[in-house]
Amino acid sequence: MADRSFEMTLERLFAGSPTFVDSELFAARVADRMNRGWGFRQFLISGLGMLGGLIGGAQVLGSGLASRLDAVTTLSRHAIASRLADLTDAHVLPAGLLLNGDIVWMAGALAVAAIVLALTRAIRDI
Amino acid sequence: MPDTHAQQASAHDLELVALAAAGGRAAFGELVRRHGSGVRGLLRRMGADPALADDLAQDAFLTAFEQIGEFRGEGAFQAWVKRIAARLYVKRWRRQMRADLLAAVAEADDPVGPGETGAVARIDLDEALRALSPAERMCVSLCYGAGLSHGETAAALNTPLGTVKSHVKRGLDKLRNRLAPGREFGAPEQEAHG
Repeated sequence: MADRSFEMTLERLFAGSPTFVDSELFAARVADRMNRGWGFRQFLISGLGMLGGLIGGAQVLGSGLASRLDAVTTLSRHAIASRLADLTDAHVLPAGLLLNGDIVWMAGALAVAAIVLALTRAIRDI
Repeated sequence: MPDTHAQQASAHDLELVALAAAGGRAAFGELVRRHGSGVRGLLRRMGADPALADDLAQDAFLTAFEQIGEFRGEGAFQAWVKRIAARLYVKRWRRQMRADLLAAVAEADDPVGPGETGAVARIDLDEALRALSPAERMCVSLCYGAGLSHGETAAALNTPLGTVKSHVKRGLDKLRNRLAPGREFGAPEQEAHG
């Protein structure tokens, strides 16, 4: 019984923290190390992303994908233009509307950019 | 949710932990301000010199931030970080000492003589702990400062359970003598210099 009482006293003594005069400095050092770790991680991720992008870009250029893509976009531009003409003829779209394949592609790219931006913001807010 | 410095200063630990788990560095900074001294104090009481204690306490908080999702709030936040810090110190300590030092030191080192009992009118815990052998100090600090069970202490130190129990018993006997039985044990706040 006396033993348990002494053990409880000891636990209480251990729980009584000394107050260090440099506790603010200690907290600042921990914050510094956290930020340094975060900065390094961001640098590493950016660096690896850039490296991956360069390798990917080089692979794309090397495979002649650009010329094939150009052929596909030319075809799709014609298809879109023809479809838009059909829609205009059917009075679904107003006759004076300036729409062609390039504008549709650009609108698509802008929509993708907007979605990526919205997702980035949403992830940051979570 | 507390978002300003003043709000964080008055927020409960669990609120700050939730914010920190969501990436809130400022909230975690408040936790470090609150509990830094406790963790540093424990490491010094375990026998670490001030510089090493501060380094390990910083490591412990960084580990805690990385693993904050694992803190379920079942115990106090400070107790959780203290356990992390204690384990970090044990790792360091084991690296520095030979595996069989615990047994050797226990037999060789007994700095408190019976004549010293009651000779000092007022001895605080830090001073009393200095009277223990390194192994006793380690075992007592792990059990009563970091809240580890005897079994957990034995596992952390890679030492037989019986050896840990014997170190704890000897350590407690010495502390009881040093801290003067029958006296009112208070835990006065003391100011230490980092």
